[in-house]
Amino acid sequence: MEILVLIKQVPDDSVEVTVNPSTGAPDLAEITPVVNAFDTYALEMAARFKEANGGTVTVASIGGDEVDTGLRNCLSVGADKAYLIKDDSFKDADSTAKAYILSQAIPKIEEANGAKFDMIFTGLEATDYAGGLTGPQMAEDLGLGCVTSVIAVDPADNGVTIKQETESGYNVVEAATPVVLTVTKPDYDPRYPTMKTKRAARKMTIARVEGLDLDAAKTAPATKVVKQYAPPKRQAGVKLTGDDINEITMKAIGMMADAKAI
Amino acid sequence: MFIVYVEVAEGKPVSVDLELVNGLKAVTDKVTALVIGKDAEAAAKEAVAWGADSAIVVDGEQFEKYNSDAYAEAIAQVAKENAPEAVILGATQWGKELVPRVAAKLATGCANDVVGLKRDGDQLIFTVPAYSGNVLTDMTIEGNPVVASVRGGTFSKADAADEGKAADIAKKDITVDASLIRAQVKEAVEEITESVNLEDADVIIAGGRGMGSAEAFEDLQKLADIMGGVVGCSRPAMEAGWISRAHQVGQSGKIVAPKLYIAFGISGSTQHVTGMVGSKYIVAVNKDEDAPIFDIADVGIVGNVKDVLPIFIEEMSKRFA
Ligand SMILES: Cc1cc2nc3c(=O)[nH]c(=O)nc-3n(C[C@H](O)[C@H](O)[C@H](O)COP(=O)(O)OP(=O)(O)OC[C@H]3O[C@@H](n4cnc5c(N)ncnc54)[C@H](O)[C@@H]3O)c2cc1C
Ligand SMILES: Nc1ncnc2c1ncn2[C@@H]1O[C@H](COP(=O)(O)O)[C@@H](O)[C@H]1O
Repeated sequence: MEILVLIKQVPDDSVEVTVNPSTGAPDLAEITPVVNAFDTYALEMAARFKEANGGTVTVASIGGDEVDTGLRNCLSVGADKAYLIKDDSFKDADSTAKAYILSQAIPKIEEANGAKFDMIFTGLEATDYAGGLTGPQMAEDLGLGCVTSVIAVDPADNGVTIKQETESGYNVVEAATPVVLTVTKPDYDPRYPTMKTKRAARKMTIARVEGLDLDAAKTAPATKVVKQYAPPKRQAGVKLTGDDINEITMKAIGMMADAKAI
Repeated sequence: MFIVYVEVAEGKPVSVDLELVNGLKAVTDKVTALVIGKDAEAAAKEAVAWGADSAIVVDGEQFEKYNSDAYAEAIAQVAKENAPEAVILGATQWGKELVPRVAAKLATGCANDVVGLKRDGDQLIFTVPAYSGNVLTDMTIEGNPVVASVRGGTFSKADAADEGKAADIAKKDITVDASLIRAQVKEAVEEITESVNLEDADVIIAGGRGMGSAEAFEDLQKLADIMGGVVGCSRPAMEAGWISRAHQVGQSGKIVAPKLYIAFGISGSTQHVTGMVGSKYIVAVNKDEDAPIFDIADVGIVGNVKDVLPIFIEEMSKRFA
């Protein structure tokens, strides 16, 4: 099967983001950009599907040249081809705009690839704004089915069989292809690149999708930021240390009681 | 007028939606509950008793069980007909998957996981968390109607249900074109049979990787039982198989705000903290005195959980006897 994995480059989510009081915007300049964690799960799932059933895995992202780094990393951990969907006007695109842009860009990528995609993977959500909106909106724009919170996918007679994580277990879902799947954390971790796969990825080209014929009204964001700020910060309380663990634990319990927490 | 899509689980409206039918009346003149499914009629009455001004019921064969294709289509159709200012859902798993699909059908803007909603003149201002809750963004959304999901705890439930309240409950017949049903749930597998109610717990006793084993989690359960609490966990503890996913707190688990949260062997990553920082009183036990969890704890104990937990169990069993 032909699989497309859509990726977003986000600030490393293990670094705590703070709001810059003078600009009123999050300070992101010093934080290393990484591929959104959920997209790395999606790529790993796609790579495993390909290894088991054949096909190709293409990755694509809307963004600037700086996203080449993320796309190249994807090429070293299972992706066969990469496309950057690029236009200066996309900088402020929100999920609604991105869904529209993707719905217009994907047919172009299919043309360049010479085959239609059977499955389009996105992450369940991006770790920056955690909207989880782009994939399902895009599915509607493309007129395709969409299954969210996917933890496994296998070929079936007329499409695919999907394991969808639920609060209390999982659903077994049958869907016709082409289909859009939003992927959450399966019970395995994404693979690491090796020296060899890194070297190979460095030699590959990341193709551009440019000059799309778009309706400007639809690329304008539907959401407008009024202001950004830090949530009220919790004050650190008392930290008890000492050699006598019994004593400090009892002291802590006493403080809990004084605060009427117990 | 707002439409609140009221999700039904085991015959009853889910808790967050009862918060919304009551709380959103501070933001709009009228709240209409939309209820879909085989228990819709009874659930609609409940929604009215808890604050909705009126209700719309959609049932029928296609809606027996939750199907995102059918439900998204029904919500969009009802929205088109009634022209509300906003369609609001609870930020549950299904609420969050419906929001983008309904919004796309209505060609309007949307947001998930809203933690604040207020009115400024004729504008609605939505507050959404970003970067694991470290940044809040106030934003406006263009579109008629706007579509958004709101997190539990953002608004409050009415103090009591008004069971006798009369309200217009209208039935709406909808048939979704078969071509629009693209995915079907063939089987729903229940792996987690225990019911874990972290969101409503007053006391949460949580454990992380530092607990070290499934046996250690049994001790946590002991402490939780003594204190009338519920056990929570971090993602690595769940992934290690020490406890089921239903107990996970954080970004990809539950967002909780108990009166007391005790974290044993949890480092305090932003993805965990975002799920519990709203707790009233936080106690942390960690052997690393630089663990970030101490930055948000009211009381921190630098020590080994193996030493501290037995003391807690012993002392609490006296105090809660
Ligand atoms: C997309 C995404 C979503 C995520 N969602 C979640 C989520 O919902 N919830 C969540 O929790 N995590 C989530 N994570 C994972 C998160 O980033 C952290 O890895 C995780 O929270 C760390 O869990 P932990 O504190 O138990 O483990 P660690 O970070 O390994 O910390 C263990 C702590 O235990 C202490 N310790 C060890 N032994 C002892 C002992 N004997 N006595 C006392 N202390 C001891 C150590 O000092 C350490 O501080 C997510 C990550 C990603 C990328
Ligand atoms: N700029 C982008 N380019 C390509 N895919 C994206 C982009 N932004 C978001 N996505 C996809 O949509 C998913 C959900 O993102 P979001 O709606 O931002 O939470 C991500 O995990 C990606 O797979």
